[in-house]
Amino acid sequence: MSTPAALTPEAIESAFAERGFVCTGEVATTLYLADVLGKPVLLEGPPGVGKTEIAKLSAAIHDAELVRLQCYEGLDEAKALYEWSYGKQMLYVQLLREKTAELLAPSADLRSALAVLKSHGDEFFSRDFLLPRPLLQAITSERPVVLLVDEVDRADEEFEAFLLEVLSDYQVSVPELGTIRAKHRPRVVLTSNDTRELSDALRRRCLYLYLDYPSFEDEIRIVESRVPGIGATLAQRLVRFAQSLRKAELRKSPGIAEVVDWALALVAVGADSLSPAVLGRTLGALLKNREDVDRVLAEPSRFRA
Amino acid sequence: MIPALGRFVEALRGEGVAVSPAELLDATRAVEAIGLEDRARFRAALATTLAKGRRQREVFERLFESFFAPPPGPGKGKGTRPGSSAGEGAPRRRAQGGSSGARSRPRADEPRPRARADERRPERKVRAMVEEVRAARRVGRLRVVRVEPRAGETKGPEAGLRCDPGKRDLKRPMTGDEERELAREVPKLVERIRLRSGRRFRASRSGRLSPRRLFRENVASGGVPFVLPLRRPKPRRPRVVLLVDVSFSVARSAGYFLLMAAEFLRIGRDARVIAFVDRPVDATRAVRRWLARGRGAAPQVRAPAARPRRRGRRPGEGIAGPRGSFADLLDSLRGLNLDAPSDYGRALHGLLRSELRPRGRDTILVVLGDGRTNRLDPLPWTLEEIARQVRALLWLVPEPEEQWGTGDSALAHYLPFVDVAVEARDLAGLARGLTEIVRRL
Repeated sequence: MSTPAALTPEAIESAFAERGFVCTGEVATTLYLADVLGKPVLLEGPPGVGKTEIAKLSAAIHDAELVRLQCYEGLDEAKALYEWSYGKQMLYVQLLREKTAELLAPSADLRSALAVLKSHGDEFFSRDFLLPRPLLQAITSERPVVLLVDEVDRADEEFEAFLLEVLSDYQVSVPELGTIRAKHRPRVVLTSNDTRELSDALRRRCLYLYLDYPSFEDEIRIVESRVPGIGATLAQRLVRFAQSLRKAELRKSPGIAEVVDWALALVAVGADSLSPAVLGRTLGALLKNREDVDRVLAEPSRFRA
Repeated sequence: MIPALGRFVEALRGEGVAVSPAELLDATRAVEAIGLEDRARFRAALATTLAKGRRQREVFERLFESFFAPPPGPGKGKGTRPGSSAGEGAPRRRAQGGSSGARSRPRADEPRPRARADERRPERKVRAMVEEVRAARRVGRLRVVRVEPRAGETKGPEAGLRCDPGKRDLKRPMTGDEERELAREVPKLVERIRLRSGRRFRASRSGRLSPRRLFRENVASGGVPFVLPLRRPKPRRPRVVLLVDVSFSVARSAGYFLLMAAEFLRIGRDARVIAFVDRPVDATRAVRRWLARGRGAAPQVRAPAARPRRRGRRPGEGIAGPRGSFADLLDSLRGLNLDAPSDYGRALHGLLRSELRPRGRDTILVVLGDGRTNRLDPLPWTLEEIARQVRALLWLVPEPEEQWGTGDSALAHYLPFVDVAVEARDLAGLARGLTEIVRRL
């Protein structure tokens, strides 16, 4: 199993910046340490702060393939690791019927026919009939891989335990095939929205990073890097507005992506201030819940301070 | 490097962050990879390997500041010398007592809530406190419930003495007779809650028939079913956990509250009672025995034998259940030190670590207490952790709202994690709190 070469934290920071992602020193240090220590990274934080984006960019800067495993309630081994392609097996059995009859023709009794079958029996449980799911894909890939296990808090606890087993030594045993070892150690990024407490065992094996909403200055930098045509005053105003929305108790607080979308929308309609008319036309890009929109439009001045 | 890091980890453990040896190894390797030149990176490396959660991170930040002080001059600090890898003193240590792990008085560098100067001017103190609670209300989901005085009623303790006994301040000193007089109010209040909630709280005679018991219990009548036995409900996790502060100032409120609550919750089946002064003690069985009705053979609440009696008047002497007074009940609880100073942080931490810990998505945690923790560390994260594992968290405060969080009260630290806080300084307030609980059943 080869170990991926580590980029220094400074290199990671600048590579992220090239791709328009404002990355704090902490993120860069954690990604660097993940390479050095060979540990998965657990990113936790509210939705829309760029957890998934970090994994994607990490794949891009390391020139690696991104394999994504989206977790949900009821996700099990078969859907995460591998499955036997039953349909394909059946199809082959049908097509090869004559061939099988031919093979079995010389055998006089049932016992010898079984012996013949036995000697060919493993053909239908070979790699040709294996459907690799994300975890196996990540392990068997010829190229370096970034494995993104997204929203791991949505999966069940049993799956979390199973994940631990796979992540501890990056190998998988398939009873019919034996143990499959990773050629390259995958870089693993787990994300969680903190909807469920993850087990201590999982936390212990990972490097942990809590991503919060960015500071005022950082968010302005993000908006300016993503929305080139935006004026400095407008950027400041809209970020201040968005940050005050996050402090208010909304049903769904706006994430960074929504703020960027909103900034794009404001530039598109040629707005230079946040007048009620402009808000009414563009707020749909920022808030995705009708009650929230109504509440903000009712007294927008509350959020402008 | 290792000794300094080891002491730091030791201090983290002392604050309740369980750092495993494997994580310490990770941290060591991380520091080797990152080096000591850049303080921000050094901090990030330790944080990502040692603090595996948001509240762990808070503790980490606090301790990091006191352990690894920034270099005095730009790049001239003893610890920032490049290549001082063996530097035992590399990051300068400042806190000496940190590694003892003992929870002592808050450190000097820890920000105290609000300035001391405020304490000389009570009205400003109260205002500052209210601001704090307001802030908590905005980020947390706090709902504050108060019993508003009716029109024409004057507020204040003196007024309370003259009018409705339900409005008597329970924290004021009282004699046993006064307590008995107030206890007579309890059935009225109970009846009022019962009527308002419009629900039946006694077990009903409907449900699923138990076939096995049907045959067994009707053998005498030759199988003719005169008795229709119903299935007994299975034991289950308690739906309500009552965590009651029974220290001197709150014990009286606790007694009245339990007296009322037992009318609505089956203590031992639906509800668990945990009493605390500085550590949690399971009082479920004792309270059930205290309130057991009928069948006269049940034993009296065990009299305190080995323990020296508390000196002076005991609160709760006039609150009599069918089996002795509430004060006797408290004296009989094993493991409860009534003379200890209240320590909410330690009690909550103990609860979090014990199997009594309330959890489950249909469990409600009810805390009764004033949050006065004698300036000991309130460890608010313990409550946050507990709150995360229950459906709802209610807090009954036996104090007027103006006094919440003032002086040595740590309520402001706890309220952000509370769903409903009830001002329960009198019987009416306790009844109001109980209504909130009953509504959620």
